[in-house]
Formats: sequence, C-alpha cells, structure tokens
Amino acid sequence: MNIELTTQQKALQQEVREYMKTVMTPELIEEAKNPEYKEGGGPEFRKQYARMGADGWIGLSWSKELGGKELSHVEQYIFTDEVVRSGFAYPFLTTEAVTPVIAANANAEVRDEVVGGVKQGKVTIAIGYSEPNAGTDLASLTTRAERDGDDWIINGQKMWTSLGNYADYVWLAARTDPDASKKHKGLTMFLVPTDIEGFSLTPVHTLGVRTNATYYSDIRLPDKYRVGEVNAGWKLITGQLNIERLSLFTHGQVDSLYQGVCEWAAETDAPGGGKIIELPWVQHNLAKVKTGLEVVKLICWKQAWAMDQGPLNMADASVAKVYSSEFFVELYRMLLEVMGQAGTIAKHSPGAVLQGKLEFRWRVGAVLTFGGGTNEVQRDIIAMAGLWMPRTR
Amino acid sequence: MDFSISEEVNSAQQLAQQILGDFTEVDKLKRIEQQEERFDTELWKALAEAGLLGLDIPENNGGTGLGFYSLTTLCEEVGRTVAPVPVIPVLVSAAGTLRRFGTDAQKEQWLGAIASGSTLVTAALEEYNNEDPGTPASSAEKMDGGYSISGTKICVSLAQTAARILVSARAGEELVVALVDPRAAGVSLNAQVIMTGENRHELVMDKVQVPTSDIVATGREAVAAMEWALQASRTALAAMAVGVCDKMMRITGSYTSEREQFGRAIATFQAVSHRVADCYIDVECLRLVTQQAASLIDQGRPASEAVAMAKIWCGDVTHRVSQASQHCHGGTGVDRDYPLFRYCELARQIELTAGSSARLMGELGQDICAEYLAKAG
Repeated sequence: MNIELTTQQKALQQEVREYMKTVMTPELIEEAKNPEYKEGGGPEFRKQYARMGADGWIGLSWSKELGGKELSHVEQYIFTDEVVRSGFAYPFLTTEAVTPVIAANANAEVRDEVVGGVKQGKVTIAIGYSEPNAGTDLASLTTRAERDGDDWIINGQKMWTSLGNYADYVWLAARTDPDASKKHKGLTMFLVPTDIEGFSLTPVHTLGVRTNATYYSDIRLPDKYRVGEVNAGWKLITGQLNIERLSLFTHGQVDSLYQGVCEWAAETDAPGGGKIIELPWVQHNLAKVKTGLEVVKLICWKQAWAMDQGPLNMADASVAKVYSSEFFVELYRMLLEVMGQAGTIAKHSPGAVLQGKLEFRWRVGAVLTFGGGTNEVQRDIIAMAGLWMPRTR
Repeated sequence: MDFSISEEVNSAQQLAQQILGDFTEVDKLKRIEQQEERFDTELWKALAEAGLLGLDIPENNGGTGLGFYSLTTLCEEVGRTVAPVPVIPVLVSAAGTLRRFGTDAQKEQWLGAIASGSTLVTAALEEYNNEDPGTPASSAEKMDGGYSISGTKICVSLAQTAARILVSARAGEELVVALVDPRAAGVSLNAQVIMTGENRHELVMDKVQVPTSDIVATGREAVAAMEWALQASRTALAAMAVGVCDKMMRITGSYTSEREQFGRAIATFQAVSHRVADCYIDVECLRLVTQQAASLIDQGRPASEAVAMAKIWCGDVTHRVSQASQHCHGGTGVDRDYPLFRYCELARQIELTAGSSARLMGELGQDICAEYLAKAG
C-alpha cells in the first residue's frame, strides 16, 4: 500500500504538462473564442491535434501492433488528467473508447483508414448512441439498418451527437433485427462517414456546450463500414463504458479550479480589511472542497490501478461515477460561492475571475449526473453488485 | 502507486476477523456489557496468542513488526465486530507512541508485555474542551528525580486496570509526555459513563510524582510524540469506522432485502435501495482516505493533512451511515435485542473522539488560508 505517484509517474505527469503548454498556442486560445470552434474542430485545433499525432502522443494505451506504447491504465490516466487540465479539446472518446474497439473488430481496410487516421491526429469520431426516445434505456433505440446487397440502408435520428459538426465519422448504433428476443440483441455497430449522402445535422445549443442532432436518411453504407458481427453491437457499446468514464472525471481539471480560487482569495481584499481567504466561511468552503477533491484523486488512481490488475468491479465503477459527478457539481457551487457575484461574470467580460471558467464549468457540469449512465441506474448497480440487494422495480 | 496489500498484512487481518468473530456473539457481548469494565480479557488473550497485539511492535521487543498499516486493519475488524477490546488507547496511542518515542528501557519494560497481553498501558489524550495532547492545560513541574504533574484528563479507557497511563503536560513552555501510575499518590479516578454505556474515568492528577524512568519525552521530542499520537489515533479511529460503517450498511442491505411491506421486499423500492447504495459510496470514500493516511504514517511520511481529511470523512460517514441504517430498519433498528444499536453508539463515539468534522474542517481551512497567503507573499 503506497498511494503516491512513483518517480517515473511524476516524470510522465510533468512531461505531459509541459508538452500540453506548447499545444495550447495563443492562436488556439484565440480560435476558441469563436463559438463555432469552442469544442474544437477549427484549423488551429486540427493543426495541434495532428502535431500530437506526429509527436506520438495519440494512442499511448494501444497495443504495439497498432502503433501504441501499451501504457498501463495508471499511465494512461496520468496522460488524460494532464490533457484535460490543459483545456485542450482532445477527443478522448475517439482515441480511448472507440478506436480500440474498431481496431479489434473492423475489417482490414476500414481499420487502416480509421485507426491510422486517428493515430496521426487527422480523424475524429462522434458517438451516435442516444436518440430522442432512447437515452438511459439505450437498447430501445430505433435507428434502422437494413441489408441491401453489399450495402446497408440506414434511416433514423440521433441526439446529442457531440463533435458531429466536425467529426469524420459517427460511431453509430443501429437496429438490424427488430424481432430479436431481447431488445439489446438486435443491434449492430457502424461507422458512418459524415460526408456520405443522406447525413445531415442541426446544432443543439445546450446550457453549456454545442452539440448536435444528426439525421440519417436513406444512407447507402457499404458493408465494410459495419464493425463486428451483425446483431452483436451491444457488447461493443458496453465494453468501453468504464474507459469512457475514466476520462470524464479526472482530478486535475477541478484541482486547478480549486487552486485558482484559493490564489484569487489570497490576493483579493475583503471589504472589512484583510483578504477574502481570511474569512471563516471562505475557509470552510475551501476546506470542504479540498476534502472532497482528495477522494476524487484517490478514486481515479484506484480505478486506474484496478484496471491494470484485471476487470473493474462493477460496483466500484458505479461508485466512482456517482461520487465524482455529484461532487463536481458541489465543488462548482462552493467555489462560486467564494467568488459571489464576480463568479458569474463571463469569460472576456471585464472583471471575470479565472477567465469565467467556473460559471462555464457549472453550466457544462449540469450533464454530469445523468450523462455516461444516469446516477439512478448506477445506484441500482451498487445495491445489486455491491450489496447483493434484489433488483428494484 | 500501489493499492495492493501484502500477503502478511492480509492474513493478519483475516486471522483477526476469525478470532473477533468467534468472541463477539451477542450473548457474549451482553455479558461483557454487564461487567463494570467493558473489556473482554479472554479475547485480549486470544489476540495476544495470535500475535495480533504486537502488529506494530518490533520483533526485538516481542511484537510481529508488521507495522502501523497492519494495526489499522485490526482496528477495522474490531469496529466490524464491536468487540470490547481497547485496541486504540493501548496499541495505537500508548504502545505506538512508546515504540517511536520511548527510551530503550521503557520499550524493554512495556512493549513486550503489551504484545503478550500481560500488561496494559493506556493513554489519556483528551481534556475538557481540548482534544489536542500537544496543547494540554495539565501542568508539570520539574523536580528531583522526575516531574510533578497536575491536571485533569477525561474519558480514559481502562484507567483502573492499566499499569500506566500515557499523558502530556506543560512545564512552562516545554511539553512533557509521561507515564502515570494510576495507583500513585495524588491520582483520583472518577467514573464517567459514556454514550456506549461503557464506564470510563476522569483522571484527576494532583501533584503526582512521576519518576524520570517514566518520562517518555520532553521538549521537541514530546511535541513530535503527541503529534504522532494524535494523528495515529485519528487514523485508527477512521479505520475502526470503516469496519463499523461497512457492517451497519451490510446489516441494512440484508434486512431490507428480507423485510416485506406492501407484499414485497422493501429493498425493491428505489427510495430504500438508493439510500443503502449511498452508504456504500460513503464507505468506499472513507476507506480510500483512511488507507491513504494509514499508509503515509506506516512509511513515516508527512501525514497531517491526509489524517485531518480522513477524520473529517470519518465523522461525516459514521453519522450518515448510522442514521440511514436506523432509518431503513424502522423500529427494529432501535430495539436493543437487535445488534444495530451497538454499531450506532460506537459510530457516534468515534465521530466525537479526537476532533469532530466541524472542528477539523475549521482547522483545515485555516491551514489552507496560511498556505495560500504565504504563496501570495
């Protein structure tokens, strides 16, 4: 039992932190002011993403055959934590969640095209799971794929297709057997090139970020873009959910907010004399944030470490998701309380504290408790897998 | 980074689990609760014979030398079984401090005897309105051949049975850590019944003569000793809380899976199962911060922040899990013929010992303030 980073792990952390400073160029920061490019996809973003590929930073966790370095999950987490901390819109779902599944299941031609492209930082992939009527009950999705000779004809609609506006492919879950005995047994995975005829989208502007509704209208998709066996899509979806979560809730991104607010409070005069940080209620909030953050750090490390030892315990994975998502929201509030009204001033407005990061993170954070598997379902899993309690009705 | 637990530490914990399980059947607990002193001497003897009292005592002093982390796993198991044995005051606060700060002669005299179970040395770290043994109101005066100590300590475990009681006192600016003989002249012990129904004692010292051979440390060494004792005791309490809360939550998971209302097990209502799931999340969080604090102390690394956070989580989680367990049981939970009440009482006792969450949160906030004001220049 030694819950500290080793010298090598600290060196990797430092290396990534320094490298990411060179990725966050002034041009990229300027480009992100354009609402169109806030989530990535602009020319400077593409340039920096491709540079990360050329410098060998993409796919570190992949197998050596795929050009990866087979980093352990702990090392992969350290990388992820630092990249998220830097603020770069790195497409983790593309690189960590979807591409390894494609590499293992796609046909050779598509594998070379897609996996090779991701490795070079030239390809991004959006996720096409949710639909207007299929969210938490994902297996009830109705987007259809019907066989027609060597092709598939795809019709349907997806919701919350984030990055769909600049991604090169959508990783699409579609129903191929409407009569399957169980809903989740009739699903197949496809890669849909976003320049294909019949694909369109409309933007969806959320409380936080821009996402998309995507439409699939009589798309004729060659069979080579099918990934995995027909009607065997469900396990390709669920197999990578834990990996997805490991990149959603990282410690560095919120730790840097905590540190930023502490620094601000230590520099800012309180109205009655002294500094803001000397006020007892401010200290109370900061101590609560620190105490909760410590567990975020430990949960992340423990999960990464456990994934290196074997399959992740189901209840533990759900604990990590529920705790982190609910604490992130609390943290945003407690830090905003310290700043008061000044905390509500948006980025680029005069007087904004920490570039308005907190008010923005709070708006983005509204999705955390239901995104990536809603917390009610996670608690059901904890009760069943962790405590052997019966299934709720 | 390594979360794995060594095989030796693991087997020691399993052995503890087995012995403690055997000795804590409800009838046995009830019998011990009737005694004036809530202490199961047979169980203590069994733990000694298994080498479990000497986990954090070096081999050359008659222990097994597995270290502090291993000792916290014993505390966890004692919590899981609400066993009436004084592992924290004797093995952590007293023996742990003696082993690290005592003189060679003191180690020789006491550690082996503690490990073998033949002698008890307890600790009295708290005073009225003061949980920090580093800043006692008790006073010490230097005299020929030792110190004369006066002052009052509260809620002392095994004060009548122990051969010595480890206390701290202030000699002017200097801190003194001493072993007080409860039978010495000037000592009076006044019974105090605490929340668990257990008899403890107020220890009043009026010019008690402590010979040099019983002075553990003075000055800076004494400050370090009391810092260690406080951090180690808080961490051990958090570890005990892991066992207490894990067990309360599991009792509740089982009860709600069997208890039927409206024709179905109440665990099949999400409102119920989610409350127990929240306990599971809380216990996991407490386990992680506790393991971190225990492993830092085990390796002799700076641990004060990690310990403060562990004790804050300990206070919050004992409260929440205890209340949720009571609530989900309905009337059954408060019935003294049902085992839950012992866990709830012990949980509250742990919460309020050696610093509450509110107090530690306030102190942590002050530390954060000092840290960032210093950085800001």
